[in-house]
Amino acid sequence: MPHLELASISKAFKTNKVLDDISLTADAGEIVVIFGPSGTGKTVLLRLIAGVEEPTSGTISVDSQDMADVAPEHRDVGMAFQNFALFPHLNAFENIASPLRARSQSDAQVKSGVGRVAKLLKIDHVLGHAPRQLSNGQKQRTALARALASSPKLLLLDDPLRNVDAKLRFEMRLELPRLLRQAKSTVLYVTQDYKEAMALADRIAVLAEGRFIQIATPADIYRNPATVGVARLFGDPTINLAETTIGADGSIELAGEKVAIDKSYGIFAGKNVSFGVRPEAVEVMNGRGAGLKAQVMAVTPLNERTVLLLQTKAGAELLASLPSSSASIPKAENEVTIAFNPAGTHLFDRETGAALARGRA
Amino acid sequence: MSSELVLKNVDKIYGAGAVHAVKDLSFAVKPGEITALLGSSGCGKTSTLRMIAGFETLTNGSIELDGRPIHMLPPAQRGVAMAFETYSLYPPLTIAENISFALKAQKLGSQDVNKRVKDMAELLEISDVLNKYPSSVSGGQQQRASLGRALVRKAGLYLLDEPMGQLEPQLRAVLRGRIKHYLREHDCTTILVTHDQTEANALADRIAVMEGGVLQQYATPAELKVRPANLFVGTFIGEPPMNVFPVQVKDDGKTVDFAIEGSGGQSLSYAAADFSQTLRNRLKSETALMLGVRPHAVRIGKQGLKARVVTCQWLGDQTHIASEIAGRTVVSVSHEQIAAKPASEVFLGIEPGDLHIFSSGNGAAIAHGAQLV
Repeated sequence: MPHLELASISKAFKTNKVLDDISLTADAGEIVVIFGPSGTGKTVLLRLIAGVEEPTSGTISVDSQDMADVAPEHRDVGMAFQNFALFPHLNAFENIASPLRARSQSDAQVKSGVGRVAKLLKIDHVLGHAPRQLSNGQKQRTALARALASSPKLLLLDDPLRNVDAKLRFEMRLELPRLLRQAKSTVLYVTQDYKEAMALADRIAVLAEGRFIQIATPADIYRNPATVGVARLFGDPTINLAETTIGADGSIELAGEKVAIDKSYGIFAGKNVSFGVRPEAVEVMNGRGAGLKAQVMAVTPLNERTVLLLQTKAGAELLASLPSSSASIPKAENEVTIAFNPAGTHLFDRETGAALARGRA
Repeated sequence: MSSELVLKNVDKIYGAGAVHAVKDLSFAVKPGEITALLGSSGCGKTSTLRMIAGFETLTNGSIELDGRPIHMLPPAQRGVAMAFETYSLYPPLTIAENISFALKAQKLGSQDVNKRVKDMAELLEISDVLNKYPSSVSGGQQQRASLGRALVRKAGLYLLDEPMGQLEPQLRAVLRGRIKHYLREHDCTTILVTHDQTEANALADRIAVMEGGVLQQYATPAELKVRPANLFVGTFIGEPPMNVFPVQVKDDGKTVDFAIEGSGGQSLSYAAADFSQTLRNRLKSETALMLGVRPHAVRIGKQGLKARVVTCQWLGDQTHIASEIAGRTVVSVSHEQIAAKPASEVFLGIEPGDLHIFSSGNGAAIAHGAQLV
């Protein structure tokens, strides 16, 4: 039995439909990441679950109990937001203590409750500080501690790492799974950062234009994206896409040049598709062997990988991403031969964007 | 056409000595070279850029373009093309007019102008908004138009201030590649100012890392990674950042032993022969050191430091594993998809060639790999 169940939820503000018939379940202790670009209704969804907004239609149940008539303060929900939303007149300790005091806990209970989460989040040394005396990282940890303090059954985190710098975001990304496991809460986590989504989620629900287009594990989302839109949202650099028509032998055309891909694609012969290949599935060889010829236009290192901008003889642009430790990274202006690892190739219906097939490894 | 830029002993002091924003800064950008000024906010990179552009005076020092001092000239006479975050587009002109405006001074025929604007718009993916006004296009499109206006000009030097900060992720990698190709093809001497190390690494031939108004190191991206001059550069450059441990070093003639402080007595041990004699002599005079290891150099295997897995995260093209040695987090990165169960025990192996040794006092690098700096 799922812990949280959203059934056919819609939400409209006057005539503006923000969420359109969405359904989702989460098991107890599961971390579900709601992922999508800004303006897709992620925050509205959290507000509905918290009870500060009401759905236009549909039901929200926790442990099979309909939440419609349960006031926000009785929903056993903890929240943290991207703008931290700390009470400016209370120090860090009192901010974290506020949900405990709201439940009329004794001073001793409050003290031990705050102490526990503060230690976990490594802010026990700044509990006496006012929010304005805290760094952004400490503010964000204080906000998280407040959300965790009452050990809520349901934790709603609205892009909590949005406003901290890259180093802190990375540190927190590594720390959060353990924190969340220890809290034992069911977590809905909103983010626009695909790496954060993949790193934290048990499952990712991809939200676009008010609907979930795919709900699956990170590996499944990355390897088997349901639509071309999902494929474009995951990966850095993003997937290479080319509009083409499939040949009888499963080949495609890149800027008019015929390229053999995967014979199994032959069943889609004559179909108009978007062909996608992940940059890390573009294999680059220095030799003059058979295959697709391309010129290296630019070499742009990306952390421990090297991204190559390639241009085929016919003029198609492609990005390749190789480990920088690879034996032979070509230089700008070099001529190379490229091949596609079938496991990283995808076909999408050009009309609907829906996935048709993935290449076989 | 491309020029050489030389900064000599440049100081910038604001408000009668109150703020020393740039301290004794000297560096040179070769003709056709792309240099990135990289640092966090307040490091002095923007003051430096504004002095080169002519929007700020120098307190001391000189700036020369092809051997000619330019720091006394007004901005318009410096032969510098600029794309600044704050140097906005002309609101009453369309995007196309904004870009072609920069070509007016070059007295080109209208056909030639149109072609150059069209090519630049294609390169930057703004062809569909050429006839729109700046106020009706997105922030990312405005930024690309501003970049186009700078790049379309012929100039001895190009100054680009956070040129791609607002770029959509789906365009970022392709545009970085195209812009780098364009700058090289047109032999543009370029200074790029950014706080984003991925942008600096992707585009620059050399990166000037600044902190506290002081140039920390000026080197190629590869050199910064392999041979950082100090602990600041070592930990600033690289994503995820370098792992750093305070260590005590012991050399008994056969093994060199780095005991990791606060790790419950664990140490990294290597055969003395792995290290040069000069380095071993030097280490004898330094007992307390900082040891740095890049996440890609931490290998999970059967031997090495005993650690407990905290998290294991696969991001599509790499796996990040955080593990703990007595409360201290160590990050390891692999290009492969690796499964490591949280709370399980692993061993972290580190090759002597992957060690970075820094003085724990001033943070200066003592050794990279087994060789003295």
